[in-house]
Amino acid sequence: MTVTASLGNEVVDRLNEILDEPGAVLTSRSSRFNRARVPAPFPVHRWEEFLPDVVVLPRTTEQVSRIVKLANELKVPIVPRAGGTGLADGAVPMRGGILVDVKRMDQVKEIDLVNNTVTVGPGINMQTLNRHLRPHGVIYPDDPASYACALVGGRIGTSGLSLLGARYGHTRDLVISFEMVLPTGEVIEVGDGGGRKVRKSSTGYQLKHLFMGHQGTLGIVTEATLELVPRAETEFAAFFLFEDYDTAYRTFSKLAKSGLATLAGVMLFDPEKVDYLRRDDEAYIVQPAWVKAVCAVSLLGTRVEVEPARDVVMKLGRSLGGRYIGDEIASGDWAARHDRYANPLHGRDKNGKVIPMSWHCEDAAIPYSEVPEVLRKWHAIARRYCEQYEIFDDWGAFAYTNAAHKPWGDILLEIDMGLWEDRMDEYSWQAFVSLKKEIAQVAIDHGGSMSSCHGATRAGDAELVPTEMGASWEVMKAIKRALDPHNIMNPGKQSLDEAYSDGHRS
Amino acid sequence: MSDKQVTQAAARSEATTTTDPEPTPSTSGDDTTPGRAPDDHGPRGSNGDDRAVDLAMPHLGQIEQAFVERWHENATGCFSSGHKFCREVCPVTQVTRNENHTPTAFHANVIGLEKGHLSVEDVADDYVHCTQCGGCEVRCPNTLMVGDFYRARTETVKVVRAMRAMLVDKGLDREKWKVWNRLTDELKNEPVLGVEGEQPNGQAQVRDWAAGLDIPIGGDTIMFVDCEAAYYRTSVPRATAQILRKAGVEFGLMNEQWCCGGPAAEMGYVEQSMRFARHNVDDWRRSGVKRIIAIEPHDYVHFTEDYPAYFGDEFDFEVVQIIDLVAELIRDGRLELVKPIERVATYHDPCRLNKRKGIHEAPREILRAIPGLEFRDVDRVTQWSYCSGGGGGLPIEKPEITAEISRRRLEKASELDVDLLVSACVWSERPLTAAGDEAGIEVRDIIELVAESAGIEVGGRTRA
Ligand SMILES: Cc1cc2nc3c(=O)[nH]c(=O)nc-3n(C[C@H](O)[C@H](O)[C@H](O)COP(=O)(O)OP(=O)(O)OC[C@H]3O[C@@H](n4cnc5c(N)ncnc54)[C@H](O)[C@@H]3O)c2cc1C
Ligand code: SF4
Ligand code: SF4
Repeated sequence: MTVTASLGNEVVDRLNEILDEPGAVLTSRSSRFNRARVPAPFPVHRWEEFLPDVVVLPRTTEQVSRIVKLANELKVPIVPRAGGTGLADGAVPMRGGILVDVKRMDQVKEIDLVNNTVTVGPGINMQTLNRHLRPHGVIYPDDPASYACALVGGRIGTSGLSLLGARYGHTRDLVISFEMVLPTGEVIEVGDGGGRKVRKSSTGYQLKHLFMGHQGTLGIVTEATLELVPRAETEFAAFFLFEDYDTAYRTFSKLAKSGLATLAGVMLFDPEKVDYLRRDDEAYIVQPAWVKAVCAVSLLGTRVEVEPARDVVMKLGRSLGGRYIGDEIASGDWAARHDRYANPLHGRDKNGKVIPMSWHCEDAAIPYSEVPEVLRKWHAIARRYCEQYEIFDDWGAFAYTNAAHKPWGDILLEIDMGLWEDRMDEYSWQAFVSLKKEIAQVAIDHGGSMSSCHGATRAGDAELVPTEMGASWEVMKAIKRALDPHNIMNPGKQSLDEAYSDGHRS
Repeated sequence: MSDKQVTQAAARSEATTTTDPEPTPSTSGDDTTPGRAPDDHGPRGSNGDDRAVDLAMPHLGQIEQAFVERWHENATGCFSSGHKFCREVCPVTQVTRNENHTPTAFHANVIGLEKGHLSVEDVADDYVHCTQCGGCEVRCPNTLMVGDFYRARTETVKVVRAMRAMLVDKGLDREKWKVWNRLTDELKNEPVLGVEGEQPNGQAQVRDWAAGLDIPIGGDTIMFVDCEAAYYRTSVPRATAQILRKAGVEFGLMNEQWCCGGPAAEMGYVEQSMRFARHNVDDWRRSGVKRIIAIEPHDYVHFTEDYPAYFGDEFDFEVVQIIDLVAELIRDGRLELVKPIERVATYHDPCRLNKRKGIHEAPREILRAIPGLEFRDVDRVTQWSYCSGGGGGLPIEKPEITAEISRRRLEKASELDVDLLVSACVWSERPLTAAGDEAGIEVRDIIELVAESAGIEVGGRTRA
């Protein structure tokens, strides 16, 4: 196991030699402090524990490879960071070391309109990329709520969820292949089989999946070839209102199983979510008091597909008594979804006072059948913590269709909580970690996965990775050990240190 | 699709925020200067309640303490969100791709200072990397979505300015800014023609641009000509003056026009800025001025935000932005555009008009009124991430970043197959013109174009 060395001048000198550009190797305090935090609740009181020793801003694969080789030689931890928007602390260094910030690798290298691919560096943002693509009538449709701030490298690092996944697929479906620097510095190309632009192959092992969502524990992505889809000609969004959760929940399933190919996603707000939005989100459309749950759906595609499909959606949405909210409101609200995550700025304390709060989001994948019970348990846990500690607020739950192209079966169930970060101390941080653990355990108990898209890298989740993985945990450790013999790649994450302690779980 | 969603979200929320687009008076101004009490809009915690966080920070000096107290709440709003919607919109970060230069880092550093992790020295260089374009503020969901409800706006520009003021107070100000502001103090105008050797741009030359135009001094309305226009791109004030005259708008010039003081405030030289403001206001008073026509967006921001903050109720002048005025003159038929301008043009939304002041319709109205002009527009929301790099003192300290920002702006224009980029901010026009020379696209000021179309022989020059 790596022992963190406080890096000396020699390392900095050698990094400077590799990077060979003024301002590409950063050691200043502000450079390090600003690459330790993430949007999720952060133990501010322990900020100093999560600092990298040095930050590098490479531009080429070769530089990244040489940096990783150096880290290997010196057995220094190395952590890749893209947008730093990850909600599971994946890009937060646990043991110092070298932080590889890939934002300068943001080139659009090739737009291939014949094979419908675009090849980019991992530091590019999706919205920026789509602005480049607009003149060509195509888009790269990976569309998380962090569309405007997450970067391609981090999307691969987390294997993220796109809000349009039901229609176009998620990150893992949309990234065709990519170039990786392995933990020992070798550069490989992973995809389906060998070809960079091949979407389906039976040659060899399916390595793309292995290197998708590893949270920087198996190497650093330095280039990616992505899917291009035709820009949708039209879109349609509808919101249906319900007097109770159960009817909304059943309607969700009807919509998800509609068989409409243009279905981009279905979404469900539970009563706690509706309450929260009513209370604290002024941009939320005011709705009558009887509304207790909302089911939303969106379609994307050509006119000839979407227009008839719209009638099907309207019929299904109303079939159990849901009331349609109106065209204008529906498209406006769907459109605002990206920015609606702004709410964490404010929550309430027990007395209803407005306080600035940080957003915590649990993102489990749960079989559809288990959702009501999981939600019941989650809210009970949340209530208990809200009562016991001053810093929590229950912001309700969303549910999204989880699988690509077949939006039924399991769903992404997300409970959002507010955390009064300004009040954070070790006592409340530990409470937060145990809250997370309880929530994650419920997901596992019900045959789900504790993380659909953010990753199980945070304290509270990380301890449960071996539990969720079961017997395959041994395989995971063997892979980690084989590829990263010195445990230098993002060490301390997902309980993977266990791979180096006799190969056994303690 | 998704671009549209963002636009819709923005446009939609804008409808709810236009009622109060400007910060409330209590939060404007660089009120972190020593000797001025930080304004008090409730202690920490939005409700100013008994649960305020303890901010006793023995490790901080008095100046830092005042700074942290003033900005704690604003910084906490960002720190606890940290979602970084502000990153890709930031023109400086787009170029440097360095997280130190992101708007969110400017807020996190406040928390870092507060907790004793960072010192002012540690962050000094970071805060140079900002053009004060305001893009991050309009893009911040905390402004967009909850701003109206809670009367909150993520204030990044003011934090940057306050930090720079602190650098000046602590003697940590940057070398080139120091020289620039010293020369400005001596000349009473900015050394826009160069900081080396004899300055051909002092008070003796402040009205040279108006040669042959016979503009009176003083009167009810004056036209305020900022330094870049007065000495460098003199075609802009000449075009403006002649348009106004042609449309029958009466106006004069100041007795003794000093720099507005805005750039000094942007670079942190608050005392100097206030001194210059005082001079100008006194000059206006002496000649009975009631109305000021700001021909340049930076001045307009300064007159409508900083002057009122400096002088409170005493500041009762009406401030008019030239673009609004000219659009009105054309609309009312007082200014006829007759001469066709057979060019293919796009418009550069100057940051201070679009992102800071919400002025984006009037310039488009003007361009559409010019006969012969084929106008290929890029919407104002997309342009939140565009900039020339010419503001906030950036070209003085980091000219290479300014040049790259402008180069990228011209690259965007090239994609539209235009031969003309029209701006409405004289400070943007110098770097844009340099980049335009490379890209083969001419850069003009919108007022120059209007004058030409009105059949006016403008005169003056567009470059040194
Ligand atoms: C407001 C908001 C909304 C969000 N909504 C969604 C959503 O709808 N769907 C969703 O999936 N996520 C969402 N997220 C979470 C986050 O945006 C995603 O996890 C995203 O994929 C992270 O990308 P990033 O570029 O910020 O990566 P980072 O946070 O920088 O990194 C994420 C992980 O990837 C690793 N990594 C980064 N770059 C590389 C690389 N080049 N090679 C290998 N590993 C790398 C890091 O080490 C880390 O473990 C949201 C976040 C916010 C703040
Ligand atoms: S400035 Fe706004 S968008 Fe940027 S991180 Fe802070 S809160 Fe988020
Ligand atoms: S004001 Fe403009 S330049 Fe400054 S941080 Fe914000 S977006 Fe960047």
